[in-house]
Amino acid sequence: MQRFLDPQVLAGISSLDLVAKTVVDGFVAGLHRSPDFGFSQEFAEYRAYTAGDDLRHVDWNLFARTERCYLKRYRGETNSQLTVLLDASNSMQYTSGPPRKMDYACYIAASLFYLAIHNQRDAAGLIVFDDEVREDIRPSTRPGQLARLFAGLEQAEPRALTNFAKPLKHLESFRHRRGIAMVISDFYEDPETIIHTIAPMRFRGNDVVLFHILDPQEVRPVLNGSAILVDLETDHRIEVIPEYTKTTYRAKIDAHVDRLRSLARGAGMDYHLLVTDQPLDRALREYLSLRQAGN
Amino acid sequence: MGFHAPWFLGGLAALGVPVFLHLLRHHRATPRPVGSLMFFERGTQSSTRYRRLKHLVLFALRFALVLLVVLAFANPFVRHAAADANGRLLLIVLDNSFSMRAGTRLADAKQQALAVLAAKPRTQKAQIMTLGGEFRVLTQAIAEETQLQAALESVQPGDGRANFGELGRAIRQLSETVRGPIDLHLFSDMQRTAMPANFADMVLPNNVTLVLQPVAKGAASPNWAVESVQAPAVLSDPKDPKRSRVKAVVAGFGTPEVSKTVSLVVNSRVIATRKVNVPANGRATVEFASLDVGYGFSRCEVRIEDGDAFPADDASVFAVRRSDPERVLFVHVGGERRSALYFGSALEAAAQGAFVLQSVAAEQATDLDPSKYAFVVLSDAVVLPSIFEHALAQYVAKGGSVLISLGTAAAHNARIPLWDGAVKDVREYARTGNPASVGQVDFSYPALAQEQPGHDNGGWADVKVFYAAVLDTGQSRVAARLADSTPFLLDKQLGEGHVVLLTSGLENLTNDLPLHPVFVAFVDRTARYLSSSERLSGSRLVDSFVQLRSGGELVGAATSIEVIDPDGRRPLSLTEARTAQSLRLERAGFYQIRFANGRDAVIAVNPDRRESDLEPLAEDVQQLWSGSSQSARSQTASTAPVEATYQAISLWWYVMLLALLVAIAEVVFASGYMGTPREEV
Repeated sequence: MQRFLDPQVLAGISSLDLVAKTVVDGFVAGLHRSPDFGFSQEFAEYRAYTAGDDLRHVDWNLFARTERCYLKRYRGETNSQLTVLLDASNSMQYTSGPPRKMDYACYIAASLFYLAIHNQRDAAGLIVFDDEVREDIRPSTRPGQLARLFAGLEQAEPRALTNFAKPLKHLESFRHRRGIAMVISDFYEDPETIIHTIAPMRFRGNDVVLFHILDPQEVRPVLNGSAILVDLETDHRIEVIPEYTKTTYRAKIDAHVDRLRSLARGAGMDYHLLVTDQPLDRALREYLSLRQAGN
Repeated sequence: MGFHAPWFLGGLAALGVPVFLHLLRHHRATPRPVGSLMFFERGTQSSTRYRRLKHLVLFALRFALVLLVVLAFANPFVRHAAADANGRLLLIVLDNSFSMRAGTRLADAKQQALAVLAAKPRTQKAQIMTLGGEFRVLTQAIAEETQLQAALESVQPGDGRANFGELGRAIRQLSETVRGPIDLHLFSDMQRTAMPANFADMVLPNNVTLVLQPVAKGAASPNWAVESVQAPAVLSDPKDPKRSRVKAVVAGFGTPEVSKTVSLVVNSRVIATRKVNVPANGRATVEFASLDVGYGFSRCEVRIEDGDAFPADDASVFAVRRSDPERVLFVHVGGERRSALYFGSALEAAAQGAFVLQSVAAEQATDLDPSKYAFVVLSDAVVLPSIFEHALAQYVAKGGSVLISLGTAAAHNARIPLWDGAVKDVREYARTGNPASVGQVDFSYPALAQEQPGHDNGGWADVKVFYAAVLDTGQSRVAARLADSTPFLLDKQLGEGHVVLLTSGLENLTNDLPLHPVFVAFVDRTARYLSSSERLSGSRLVDSFVQLRSGGELVGAATSIEVIDPDGRRPLSLTEARTAQSLRLERAGFYQIRFANGRDAVIAVNPDRRESDLEPLAEDVQQLWSGSSQSARSQTASTAPVEATYQAISLWWYVMLLALLVAIAEVVFASGYMGTPREEV
């Protein structure tokens, strides 16, 4: 457990909440807005009393003044469930220097699990996927859930290719409650395809967040001379010249990120680019603060 | 073009290294994993072209570097057409020594030299030098005839002595800078006396062709000269016939027996005339009984009245300074009077009455002013009144001189006045019963000077020393040592003056020196040396040096020294007058010098009398010098067509320099290509 939880990271994000931006389903009172009216401090509306209504909700002060019976209704607040979809394809094992993208992704996931379960008592689950769903830990708040999630992260070693369709189909089939879904991947795929695949999840009322993990060498690669590059997923090899990496590649990767960000926001999803040379605590705090401010 | 070491060309095989590295070796790049090739494009073709373009320059530089290094080791050379008249340097050396004043020798030499100069091709370079006293370069190697002719015309007869050994040394030095062949034309009277002691000194380098141009044809004319004059430099009593006499030697060179009239001239006035019979090719001595001169300096001359073919050497000049006897301060230890007695007696016997000894005990010397004395003697007086010691130090710094002798008192008081060091130990040879003798004597030291010391070490070997002080010699000059290497006589310069230290006493207790005849000579020469009397008058030879100031003096604090040469000109510039350490006496005649301490001197300068012997070098010696094989060619050197010969000029240095430049360029290019590019932000 200690492997994924850095005290410095936890200290940095402990004062922040991971609050769903959309209305989510839940059974117990929590931090997130519920579709139902409930018992909370936030006033919602007055409604005329009808037979069968609970007399506890009658506004007696109003009845004393007007002799009319009205019910005072408050906004309901509920808990939520967090599902992290972790890309464990081969490309996630790339690193130009510690940490690997996979490790960085695991650190983020672990921190979010801790925040959800330990701080907010939200349920948290994990789906590890590559071109198949390799691990599915259903959201829960049961004791030991955090340990289970960490064990799932521990076993998530990168391999095979990436396929976003399968985990999302799996999610559709087995998760019916609305919640927060976080996709952590390097998104080496066409942005339109990615958004097209993930967007249905958003349409079903989930709060979808895309964490885009990239290595600094993937953003600004440096070649001292022409080199043969090997694709970690497909094992294809090509010879590349340094001039290309200095000019065209940078333009392409920048365009890819911009396109992905713009499509994600267009589809109502959150998008956040994380480069592995950024300190994790700072990256997470920055994201959570922005999210809180925008909520 | 060729190679001195062609076997090094085998190193050209090393050229395969850059060829292999750049052209044959396949570029093997280590595969590098990336997350995805989604955004990469293949760039193989452009990459190869790029690499080749970039590395082509580097390859060329490396190839050139290896090639140049191999070539440098092979030592390439080019053949230079050395026989081209334009490549030959015509070197004209004109002898303007004293003997060239005889007859029309110098004028003839000039005419012949001008004729050789006129015959040279217009583009051929020539250089003019003179040989007389010192070897002088009048022009650089130039082709302009007008300048060369002007330089030749400007040559004046000198008073120096020609030395063919010096010519050989100068030409050997010149040939180190001039690579091409040199035609050396020497216009000289070829005096036999100009030959050095060793013939090897005259040998010229291989690239020099010597053409002797003797200006004195036939046998030498008979010549008489005043070879030497013995006269007092300082005279205090002209009436004393023993001390004021002048003795001159008249020598004949290639002369028959003849009677000559010799005159003594004082201040341009003939005061005495003598007849002398000079034997054939021999010498005769003339003596003038008294030298009646007035106070101050007198310019004297001994002259042969009958002229000969070379009148310039018929007179010999000398300067006499007449003054009252100078006082010498003799400071001794209270009760000890022996040393004063011995020293005073020796001084009176030897120094021709020029000095009067004033003896005083050390404790009574407080009020004495040392500057009133010619020099000061401290006989075992190691404890002096502080005022007197201070005055003595000032006196020495300004040019005064002190003789210190260390007697038995030195054993009780280690400190020596005026001397930086202290007495470290004393050697009491008398106790061992084995007195020490004087082992080493520096006869070039003025106070010990002897021209031909005998087997008894100039009389010093018999001296027994019973007691001597031992001290650190430091920077002082050791003029004499005892047999066990203990310093016996030391000299140290302090400021302008000298301190002479005798590590034993001047009485007959610590040594028996006062009982030996050499003591008189020692006291005489020491007195003359310390009083600088000979420095102020007398006679010297041309090209000798006069010390103007001591080397230790600060230049900034220097006072001007005034010198007037025999022609009435001042040879020193204003700067030189303030800084010059010594003066070369180049002209014959009387030099008038005023030293920094205000003392005047008149110094007579005579040419070296070896110049009076006009006998030329034997013909076979001349042929040997110029080289028998070259002699025939040298006669027609200026007119006959020259054979085509070649000279190999090595290019090693240039090739190595080029290799260095290429290496630097290779480093610059290689660092530019192979270095890590800076990340662009």
